[in-house]
Amino acid sequence: MEEQAIVLLEMVDTFGASASNDDNCLKEQERLLPIANVGRIMKQILPANAKISKESKETMQECVSEFISFVTCEASEKCRKERRKTVNGDDVCWALETLGFDDYAGPLRRYLHRYREVEVDRANQDKIRSIEREE
Amino acid sequence: MAEDPNVAIRPEFPTGRVKKIMKLDKDINKVNSEALLLVSCSTELFLRFLAEKSAEVTKEKNRRIVKLEHMSIAVQRHRPTGNFLLDSLPLPSQPSDRPAPDHNTSRPVAEKPVPAGTRRIDEFFNKTASKSPIQIENDE
Repeated sequence: MEEQAIVLLEMVDTFGASASNDDNCLKEQERLLPIANVGRIMKQILPANAKISKESKETMQECVSEFISFVTCEASEKCRKERRKTVNGDDVCWALETLGFDDYAGPLRRYLHRYREVEVDRANQDKIRSIEREE
Repeated sequence: MAEDPNVAIRPEFPTGRVKKIMKLDKDINKVNSEALLLVSCSTELFLRFLAEKSAEVTKEKNRRIVKLEHMSIAVQRHRPTGNFLLDSLPLPSQPSDRPAPDHNTSRPVAEKPVPAGTRRIDEFFNKTASKSPIQIENDE
């Protein structure tokens, strides 16, 4: 009971919520992605005449959060073993491959590559601009 | 799945929320922006995948409404997904009076105690099962 209380207080600090009866409800929402986003994406996938039960949408929210935890845990475990503190993009790709979602890993690696190029470009642009300003 | 590398995969989920969910696990230290981006993107891909597969089951059963049991079947059919979701979803072939799957089945995530106030996914299904509507689709 005490341990639970300590965990609850930690979460209050983390999420900045006040300790009240609404806490459980708040925590509930914090660990799920918004149902509106989830529902919208589902609708995009489904044929036009299909409907999704509310139960299914809510379940999908849960499944998706589980997926996030599952992948993150695996990526984090790799970091821990390699004595690194920060989980990076490569760790996530590795985790996806390890967990059997290798068909995501390929496109995401390519996307990551492009993302890094864009970031490098942007950093270089900023550098050039600041040098020009100084001249 | 878009094979064209020029197609932008922009995450549709609020990254702040994704980050919070990632950090629910106390063992997670730091997460860089790349990791956050890729987790967001891959989560969206997963959602699309599961929605698509669930809809396939719905169609197979000549239904228009995607239901929990359709999702269950879809999860069962895809092994990597089943690895982390199977013990959380009710298996459609089981009669309702059969005891629920062991909630304490250890999984990589389940080994860590869940933060207070959070619901475990299996509790969600138990709550649902206890007030499950009358089955009108008995042909399954």
